[in-house]
Amino acid sequence: MAQAKEHSSDLAKQEQRLAYWLLAPTFIILLAIGIYPLLSVFGYSFTNATFASAKPTEFIGLQNYQTLLSMTIVQVPPILDEATGQIKVDENTGEPQFESAVRALPREPIRYRPVTEFTLFGNKYVLGATDADFIHAVWDTVVFGVVTVFLELVLGMVVALIVNANFKGRGFMRALILVPWVIPTAVSSQIWAYMLQPNRTGFFNTVLWYLGLGNGEIAFLSDPALQLPSMILIDVWKTTPFMALLLLAGLQLIPADIYEAADVDGAGPVRSFFQLTLPLLKGTIAVALVFRTLDALRVFDLFQIVLGQARYSMASFTYYELIQNRAMGYSSASSMVIFFVLSIFAIGYMRSLGVKSDDH
Amino acid sequence: MTTRTKQRISRILLWVLIFVMAIWMLFPFYWAVNSSFKTEAQLAMMPATFVPKTPVTGEVSFTLQNYEAVFNNPAFLRGIVNSAIVAISVTVVALAIGAFAGFALGKLRYRGKDTTLYIILAMTMFPQIAVLSGLYTVINTLGIPAIPSLILTYLLFSLPFTAWVLTAFFKELPTEIFQSAQVDGASPFQTFYMIMLPLTAPALVTTGLLAFIGAWNEYLFALTFTSIQPDARTLPVIIANFPSQFAMQTPFGEIMAAGIVSSIPLFLLVFIFQRRIVAGLTAGAVKG
Repeated sequence: MAQAKEHSSDLAKQEQRLAYWLLAPTFIILLAIGIYPLLSVFGYSFTNATFASAKPTEFIGLQNYQTLLSMTIVQVPPILDEATGQIKVDENTGEPQFESAVRALPREPIRYRPVTEFTLFGNKYVLGATDADFIHAVWDTVVFGVVTVFLELVLGMVVALIVNANFKGRGFMRALILVPWVIPTAVSSQIWAYMLQPNRTGFFNTVLWYLGLGNGEIAFLSDPALQLPSMILIDVWKTTPFMALLLLAGLQLIPADIYEAADVDGAGPVRSFFQLTLPLLKGTIAVALVFRTLDALRVFDLFQIVLGQARYSMASFTYYELIQNRAMGYSSASSMVIFFVLSIFAIGYMRSLGVKSDDH
Repeated sequence: MTTRTKQRISRILLWVLIFVMAIWMLFPFYWAVNSSFKTEAQLAMMPATFVPKTPVTGEVSFTLQNYEAVFNNPAFLRGIVNSAIVAISVTVVALAIGAFAGFALGKLRYRGKDTTLYIILAMTMFPQIAVLSGLYTVINTLGIPAIPSLILTYLLFSLPFTAWVLTAFFKELPTEIFQSAQVDGASPFQTFYMIMLPLTAPALVTTGLLAFIGAWNEYLFALTFTSIQPDARTLPVIIANFPSQFAMQTPFGEIMAAGIVSSIPLFLLVFIFQRRIVAGLTAGAVKG
């Protein structure tokens, strides 16, 4: 008896040793290309390191982060009429007139640039930042992420329900929806950039012009008001299939007899979707949402290829700071900001997934 | 309304939806194919035509000149070779190393298992952009050539993913096989190598496919690490920054042709291995 016990604990030890040996290569590689570079990026983010430059690297504390994130809101003073001392009013619109927003922002010790202007209770304010490009990039990326993920969820649900239905050629359709997903983003970005050309050589301008909408010269990719919607359109096309597959996996876990029971009860398809399917899919939807949000917030390929430096995502901003400006330290700080934001989502994701090693 | 007509209506509605969905998914690709068969003059036609047509007569006419140009473009041909080398190497390395880790995580008992599982899961979500400047410095300091550095750095996303998905597959294998082999006197490594690994062959195919697709399509690292070594560029970098002989305007016809050529291997994989790819994708994301 005692011998058997000893034998089994020997086996357990052997098993444990094997496990560590098998895990070692993976962890060594991830340490070398993941954790070590991450720590060095963290270190660089407190310096003014510049690539390929003779300038010595100095420790500058939190200055990079300060430049990236400093924001201020100031009221823009109205223009006063010299004769009456009253606020000057535009003769055509009747709107009060204001000084230039740029001049209202502080210039010393660091210069603030306007990010956006807004009116509240008749007063005009300007939001300024020391790096307006970065604040714009963060805002655009967040808007892009939230809107694409929401649209993908709705459309992905429709697609998942379709390919979950019973019809001839279902297998083929399931392969077909993988086309947008599998196509390299570099390729799909170029295809869409071509379809969105600012004249009637582009598909969208041609079709809208045929329909009598627009003059056939809509600048989808250079008009600031249309840039984000265009990015959202492209990304929704590209990633809806992935969302649909995640939802489909959840749909397939729902036992069919639940629906049969609902059928007997006389519940229509719409009611059974909202009262049965949706609640049962809650877990899957939560996981898919966080997973996709994480992905959307680090968007790079699409922005860099289609918009270049006309408009940044957080990731393409970081890339251009590093490669174009060779601002190693500054780019590292912006990397760390992205990492921090994404970590919050990742932790939420892992919580919702719940890792179980089923050993206990 | 009888049940029969109701059923018929819902059938028709379903097919309408299927049809609309198929168009939405495939249309951009159709447009790329259409444009890839157009000459420079046809591409400049306003309004754009839905099939390649001669500007004057309006007759349908295709050209293969974009494909000819692309296949005579040395940068593109080198891109195919570079992409194949990188993607295949990454797949092989990630599978070999990831299978070890997956087996340990899925089947073996050891102290600290939860921690390792959490680390691997967290690494599957690791944002590449966060380590871009750090990796770039390491590569420059050590002077690693672009192709090996791509293979090495792609493991950052393919290795955790492979390990994670394989963990799920190993977990599903019945523990009895493992135990009875042990009772028969096989060492745990023998059990893994001779019994468990062959059983996971389908899972290896699935994860291998996904690792290959991920590496074939990767853009950020490829763009950054080949910036000073243009002959190491992979297909996505070449297509996004297409080398044009006539710098006047973007050569969209050639870009579309190049894009189609570089997507075809992936389409073949998708249509042959549809079930496996779907299984792998969802296992990677939703199975805990």
